[in-house]
Amino acid sequence: MSEEENPAAEPLPVQDVQGDGRWMSQHNRFVQECKDAEPDVLFVGDSMVQLMQQYEVWRELYSPLHALNFGIGGDTTCNLLWRLQNGELENIRPRVVVLWVGTNNHEHTAEQVAGGIVAIVQLLHSRLPKAKIVVLGLLPRGEFPNPLREKNSAVNNYLRASLPRLGPVQFLDVGGGFVHSDGTISCRDMFDFLHLTASGYGVIATPLHELLLQLLEETPQERRASLV
Amino acid sequence: MSCGDDNPAATPTPCEDVQGDGRWMSMHNRFVSDSKGKEPEVLFVGDSLVQLLHEFEVWRKLFSPLHTLNFGIGGDATQHVLWRLINGEVDHICPKVVVLWVGTNNHGHTPEQICGGIMAIINVINQRLPQAHILVLGLLPRGKSPNPLRDRNARVNTLVQAELAPLSFASFLDVDPGFVQPDGSILHQDLYDYLHLTPQAYQRVCRPLHARVKALLEAHAP
Ligand SMILES: [Ca+2]
Repeated sequence: MSEEENPAAEPLPVQDVQGDGRWMSQHNRFVQECKDAEPDVLFVGDSMVQLMQQYEVWRELYSPLHALNFGIGGDTTCNLLWRLQNGELENIRPRVVVLWVGTNNHEHTAEQVAGGIVAIVQLLHSRLPKAKIVVLGLLPRGEFPNPLREKNSAVNNYLRASLPRLGPVQFLDVGGGFVHSDGTISCRDMFDFLHLTASGYGVIATPLHELLLQLLEETPQERRASLV
Repeated sequence: MSCGDDNPAATPTPCEDVQGDGRWMSMHNRFVSDSKGKEPEVLFVGDSLVQLLHEFEVWRKLFSPLHTLNFGIGGDATQHVLWRLINGEVDHICPKVVVLWVGTNNHGHTPEQICGGIMAIINVINQRLPQAHILVLGLLPRGKSPNPLRDRNARVNTLVQAELAPLSFASFLDVDPGFVQPDGSILHQDLYDYLHLTPQAYQRVCRPLHARVKALLEAHAP
């Protein structure tokens, strides 16, 4: 499937249907943050990324790595692609980018969603050629088995197959522990059967944090002078 | 108009499972079954502003000790909360205080309709829990800059306050500590996406809220 015919790989700003301009306000803030900060790690994605910053785990594990958080709730691959093409990668040179998006692509097939994620990885490569990229696998969702769990798991399978061909990019599936043996997901892990609780973020924190430390160690810090 | 069949905000409506993972009904069913074993003194009901409160430390510090249940669902509008309450969420409990916080998601509805929706919820709660005091929280300003939804929410607050004034079993609490800055902007340090509260902002909102709930509980004691 080529990028041109994949709707999940089309950059698309969110339409301000509610009328308070919050999406664009957040995007503009991120663009401004790029001018003021020198992050070593950049998180980009949807509410799974955004909400992480509201919990203690962000201050404990990720802030100390000089991380910026460019997550916006509800974003699809299309919306994130638009943001990254419109200023959110200017003026910064993170050594590692963590990408977590795709569970909100309700109008797209699993193959299209994976293609949208690959398109974002390609964009990150071309804009930040020295950065290592971590793609987080989509989590299961819903209290009981349902088509969206199967779709997210199919997206992960496509990513496992296609990402290794794209260079310094790692796929990390952090969803292993959330579905119990009876097929249910607990509200203690996902309070609305989609978004993670503080302890849910705790489950994924260890593998993600260890991978980030390892990647940062492998990637020498660039001289800041070159950024000015 | 305070309620009626022609007001969509006051017409009980279940959330349609457009995404296909049944999460809304799962949460409603969980609330119904949660309510059975528990004897809460306080019930919070509403949208994501109620729901997210449960996920932060301030809930465990201030509200868990009061024996509080949290029936918040992200995205809910008044008509959804109305449906949940007449479909089992308050059938097995008799809290002394019900905190209601909903209305900012009623997109496409007028302030009068939203007020009608809130009053319809209050009627249902009062019918089913006649001993409970209902504390209605004011809708917060939203959006980084001044915008029509801020005006709409402020108008809802004015209307609801007027409707509640003559009622003995319900009251209004404005929990906005002053999120709008002198230049008209809202800080992401307070509302991280210019709608939802950060843990720090919840602390500011919850101090007066906790004091009011405690006072209501004490007034309720025989
Ligand atoms: Ca910079």
